[in-house]
Amino acid sequence: MYSAPLSPAERVATVFYLPDSIAPWPEQTVRWVLDFTAGYFGRAQTGSYAATPSDVIGRLDLEPLLDSRIGTLSKGQRKRALLAVGLLTPQPILLADEPFEGLDLRQTREIAQTLRHYAAAGRTMVLSIHQISDAARMCDRFVLLSGGRTRGEGTLDDLARLAASRAEVSAGTDLEEIFLALT
Amino acid sequence: MRSPEGAWRWILAKEWRALVASRAWWVLLLAMGPLVGMSFIAAVRTYAELSGMNGTAVGVGEAFSPLIGVWAPTFSACEIAAAFMLPFVAIRIVAGDRRSGALKLELQHSMPSMARMTAKAVVLLAGWTIALLPPVVAIMMWRSYGGSIYPPELLAVATGHMLNGALTIALAAAAAAVSEHPSTAAILTLTVTVGTWVISFIAAVQGGIWERLASYTPTSMVAEFQHGLVRLDVMLVAATLTVLGLTLAAIWTRLGIAVDRRIYESTAAGALAAAVMFASAFATASWDASENRANSFSRADEAALRQIHEPLRIEAHLAAEDPRRVDLERRALSKLRRVMPRLQVQYIAATTTGLFEQTASQYGEIWYELGGRRAMSRATTAESVLETIFALAGAVPPAEIDRDVFRGHPLAVPPRGAAAVFYGVWPALVVAGGLLTRPASNGLLTRSGSER
Repeated sequence: MYSAPLSPAERVATVFYLPDSIAPWPEQTVRWVLDFTAGYFGRAQTGSYAATPSDVIGRLDLEPLLDSRIGTLSKGQRKRALLAVGLLTPQPILLADEPFEGLDLRQTREIAQTLRHYAAAGRTMVLSIHQISDAARMCDRFVLLSGGRTRGEGTLDDLARLAASRAEVSAGTDLEEIFLALT
Repeated sequence: MRSPEGAWRWILAKEWRALVASRAWWVLLLAMGPLVGMSFIAAVRTYAELSGMNGTAVGVGEAFSPLIGVWAPTFSACEIAAAFMLPFVAIRIVAGDRRSGALKLELQHSMPSMARMTAKAVVLLAGWTIALLPPVVAIMMWRSYGGSIYPPELLAVATGHMLNGALTIALAAAAAAVSEHPSTAAILTLTVTVGTWVISFIAAVQGGIWERLASYTPTSMVAEFQHGLVRLDVMLVAATLTVLGLTLAAIWTRLGIAVDRRIYESTAAGALAAAVMFASAFATASWDASENRANSFSRADEAALRQIHEPLRIEAHLAAEDPRRVDLERRALSKLRRVMPRLQVQYIAATTTGLFEQTASQYGEIWYELGGRRAMSRATTAESVLETIFALAGAVPPAEIDRDVFRGHPLAVPPRGAAAVFYGVWPALVVAGGLLTRPASNGLLTRSGSER
């Protein structure tokens, strides 16, 4: 992990931020948007996490949506298309804001599986999630934020120990309970 | 990550697709046909009637120039489109990325913001060039009627409208980048446009520095180009303003940069542009591209004037709104400045209209001073001005050379088929084009999602 703040140039080269609630290039088809993303950002120079359009299309089940325009997609469909955009970018860290927002349970599980696949391939995924139960299911490490401050950081076990050291009652390994204990 | 050069081509392609998907652009294209057609048909009909068609006095329009009679009114439709439609196309292209969130993604490439804005400007200029096709069709139709075409003057008119388009695009891009909402950007752009009209109005009333300032407004710039006059200072100022607008747009679309820094950079860019424009105002080179030398004295007169090396000073006691001053300026002094860049002109008047100043002792007098010799005249025609100057210089007025006299190109032909082309064929083509170019699956991926 980095210990010093990144310069703007380093940030651009290292992190790709995928915001929530955007509908970019609404008149363009999903096919063209993925094509554009791969062409504009290029492929990762190093690392085995580099995704190809065909790969993300298959994993995120985008085949039926390829000829649909981004502006006509439902919230969940758009979320999948944008996640594909994020996965195609070459930066080693993908910071996704609310990647499961608007998805049903099945879609959430499929996307989590996809994210885990690329994480296992070497890409670092940083997910900003309000639903703590979702975060607990998907992530290996956590940074708990509340009121603009970091309340805890580490694996579930690290956080459980931290919560136990601060609270009178043990919060166990339930992330929601740990969060409540730490905030 | 893709190199900025490679990525720029993708941004260019993206902007082009955004333009083609933009309804505002298609509406602009649709409107251009009837707008240009209406002006062209009226101009050709008037030209034909003055040339002797339908029983009017044959020969009235003998000295007619197609530049003034046909192309200036025909191309004036482009000025209306540039003022009232082109800004919306530009605002949509610049503000669309910001509103949709696409800008947040695109900014995560190391490509300089100015390169991104240049891609937008290039595409918008290409879109504007396509919108200028109806005047090109008008030129072809004029040719088919047997009309005379003088390419340099047409090129000057087209250059003026391209510069005007570039200025409009830059202004709208800056407004769209600075404001949060497209409607605010539209209001800002139209406010600036109206502001330039106000400057022209004040210039007509006040004269002086306002007149100089007004000569750089888009309206005045286009009017000069439409008369075949290409001024280097006007082109430099227009180019500087265009670059400034795009620079401001580039600065204000860098979302992650602190507002204070953006204000500082904008101020610096504005100051630099002001300095360049101030320096540009001293560029005196100009070219008269008109076939009838509408902006020049005869070649013989100009050659004789160039032999006068002493500085000439003219003091005209005429109010800003006095028609004689307008005559003097348009028929003589504007031509004189092109030959004698060191010419000093001073207008003296106590009122703006001159109506109640007529009885003042010196009102209406035009004093010429050359090498310590002075002469006074009240005439405002080009001939009398030249006569006075040559008399002061002790030079013999050159004889008029017959081959230099513009004989005109009368054409007594009605605008056959123009209505069908501009009111029917063009709109139909635009509608068909709009339907056929709706976004479709024509990317580099095949249907199965594999790469080509």
